[in-house]
Amino acid sequence: MSEAEPIGGVLSGLRVLDVGQGVSAPFCTRLLADYGADVIKVEPPEGDLARRTGPFVGDEPHLEKSIPFLFLNTNKRGVTLNLRAETGRGLLHKLAGWADVLVENTEPRQAGDLGLDYETLRQANPRLVVTSISNFGQTGPYRDWKATDLISCALSSHMYLSGDADKEPLRNALSQSLYVAGINASAATMVAIYHRLATGEGQHVDVSVMESMACHLVQATATYAFMGGVRRRRPHKGVPFEEIMPCQDGYIVPSAQTQTFETIADLLGLEELKDPRFATPEGRIINGVALEELVLKALAHWKRYDIFHEANNRRLVFGVIQGPEDFYRCPHLRARDYFVKVRHPVAGEAEYPGELVHMTEGSYQMRCPAPLLGEHNGEVYGRVLGLCHEKLSRFRGLSII
Amino acid sequence: MTTLPLEGIRVTDLSRVFAMPYFTAFLADLGAEVIKVEGLQFLGADTRLGGPFGGPFPDNIPGELHWERNGVFHTLNRGKRSITLDLNVPDGLEALRRLVLVSDVIVENFTPRIMKRFNMDYPNLRQLRPDIIMLSNTGYGHTGPFANYGGMAAALEPTHGTGAFMGYRGGPPNKFANSYTDFLMSWTAIFAIMSALLYRARTGRGLWIDVAMYQGGVSFLGEGLLDYAFNGRTERRLGNRHEYYAPHNTYPCRGKDRWIAIAVTNDEEWHALCQVLGKPEMSHDPRFADPVERWKHQDELDDIIAAWTSGLDHYEAAYRLQAAGVPAGPVLDSRGLLTDPHMRARGFFDWIEHPPETGVGRRPQLGRPWRFSSSQVPTPRPGPRLGEANSFILQELLGFTQADMGRMKEQNIIGNAPLGGRISQAIPIEKQLELERLADYDPDYRQRLGIDGASTA
Repeated sequence: MSEAEPIGGVLSGLRVLDVGQGVSAPFCTRLLADYGADVIKVEPPEGDLARRTGPFVGDEPHLEKSIPFLFLNTNKRGVTLNLRAETGRGLLHKLAGWADVLVENTEPRQAGDLGLDYETLRQANPRLVVTSISNFGQTGPYRDWKATDLISCALSSHMYLSGDADKEPLRNALSQSLYVAGINASAATMVAIYHRLATGEGQHVDVSVMESMACHLVQATATYAFMGGVRRRRPHKGVPFEEIMPCQDGYIVPSAQTQTFETIADLLGLEELKDPRFATPEGRIINGVALEELVLKALAHWKRYDIFHEANNRRLVFGVIQGPEDFYRCPHLRARDYFVKVRHPVAGEAEYPGELVHMTEGSYQMRCPAPLLGEHNGEVYGRVLGLCHEKLSRFRGLSII
Repeated sequence: MTTLPLEGIRVTDLSRVFAMPYFTAFLADLGAEVIKVEGLQFLGADTRLGGPFGGPFPDNIPGELHWERNGVFHTLNRGKRSITLDLNVPDGLEALRRLVLVSDVIVENFTPRIMKRFNMDYPNLRQLRPDIIMLSNTGYGHTGPFANYGGMAAALEPTHGTGAFMGYRGGPPNKFANSYTDFLMSWTAIFAIMSALLYRARTGRGLWIDVAMYQGGVSFLGEGLLDYAFNGRTERRLGNRHEYYAPHNTYPCRGKDRWIAIAVTNDEEWHALCQVLGKPEMSHDPRFADPVERWKHQDELDDIIAAWTSGLDHYEAAYRLQAAGVPAGPVLDSRGLLTDPHMRARGFFDWIEHPPETGVGRRPQLGRPWRFSSSQVPTPRPGPRLGEANSFILQELLGFTQADMGRMKEQNIIGNAPLGGRISQAIPIEKQLELERLADYDPDYRQRLGIDGASTA
């Protein structure tokens, strides 16, 4: 446990079973895999749900061409296993004996039927860290409620604050609540593994999607708990800063939180902004409508990247609204070697988003594309579990793997 | 009492504002000793003083000890110790050097040039302590052409792509609330620091972690990027509708600004929805026969559903739908979240007792999104009083003498009250309501929350 030599990724040597489907658990284990963990993805014989979720490469529905699946499962090995059959559960518990970590996101009421309840897994391996991700957690009155990303955004209160005050609350696209639960599961899993160094014991980690999102409500919950105020979505008019504003060829986010407001007046070339009405943050809020008109007028002369760079060079923290094509062209991401080429035998080649954070040792590595369905059955069941050839073909015949 | 996972780990936290202070608050929850380094002159950069809405203060009154009364500050800094230093003077830098020698982790979120200027960037820290783990959080990371641009979630969130992908149908880009990127980075930093601690335990080696909000944020939107890389498809804004599922939307309920979210993802849920709506015949309507037909006719579906929901309380509608197996949930506001029966039953909120001299009292505060079967996280202490640990840390831990302390006091390096920095004025509640910064105000919020003991939940 204390060699002085650097090892591959910071997490190399960590053995992980990904028995999850969709987004949250696969994203969690992909992050572990990105930083060196050996992750075996265990799919039902028909494949992870994400394989049947679009968009698909070339818009052609195909088990090996789901874009969410391809993105969420790089750097993993993949096996199939039927957990509805007793033999399948037996094999899972053998794999659990090999692993340090098992991550699952089955509905809590179904975990027992699939042999994924903590008590059973603990008997298979007392040192195992079992991380369960669910919409509402393993306890409480909503435990068995059904949810999608939309529902979790609603119940966590995130949505009430997103969008415009005069319209309905607005959800984010791209299943963000499930990604937030995924990164939380990675973090909590590492805490449990670190704890195991001291205690030698595994444990059960309960991660809730709703609570992961609710933890973002710092300002809104404090406003109610300290003064009884209910925060809301942005007012329709009168908020020209820290919000999205149109410019000549797109949208930007001007910010007035750094530097003096005079710097902004100079940047925009608007002497009127030096009016004492706008000199304090309170004044800018109370006189927001007048301020917004002035700012809009000035921004109409600016192109989005021109003002983004000019403002940031003056140490004003401005943002610019960017879409996917902008990221692939972004000189900053290119200079940081963010994109990595991945060749998948069926889906083909593309540049994938890469490193989440950079570490000076053992950082992110792209080693292989997402596994084909059952691609590593022979390797894992043969080499890891030591099953003979004959047994393997019998399990295949019985649709166990 | 079981031990906590991070007992024995010491974290020196130089970070300001939101994302990184929140990150280290979770480390404190987990048992780490987190030393928050503050500057008497520079508190404006942190949440103690806050902006016009940077409070909230108890009952909107900043009060005499206003820098100890900010609700956001306490959520972000619970369980930490506080010392005051000024890195621009030799004593301050010397204290930081000594802190590095006794710390496992250093966290900072200055722009890249600052720690270099103090000769306290990673190569220098490593000379002091070879196995130090350092985490630096900036807007754009320490390399690349935008490296010196500032970082702030309000501007970065749309810059890293969420804005383009969200918005009302056919409308302009919109923003995900709550400084979303800050929190992505809080969670990311926990994952990264735990990985680094594990690596150090196995190899004896430290490392430096470059957490760039822009690049980190993009990493959560990979599906959208790959759709472009493979198919050339750019972002589209669907409001609360879904690419494939229908019905999938928010619908108005009884009361002001009350909504329910409903998402039907398969035929079984569809038939259940028809029953709950009291329209079993809709199950056989050819316009809604399969997911593709339902998606095509979702305008009609949305009208039918809204007609049903608009007469109902948002919780009541959700309970009825969930009982039948239809994914649904009320859109909770912060009052709803703090009193939600599920969150209360889970014990999600921490009830923080503040020291009497601050007059803050007892307040509920956000807890953690994870539970560990081997360790129960105890209720955290509130955020620290400014400089409360100066003598304990500087004298007892770092070996500064009484004379050193006197000198630092004279130089205004150490102390317990802010020097300068803008003191935020609370905007009256009526004005906040008029400006639509608040949707509502409950004068009886203490009763509703059960702050004084009598809980309504």
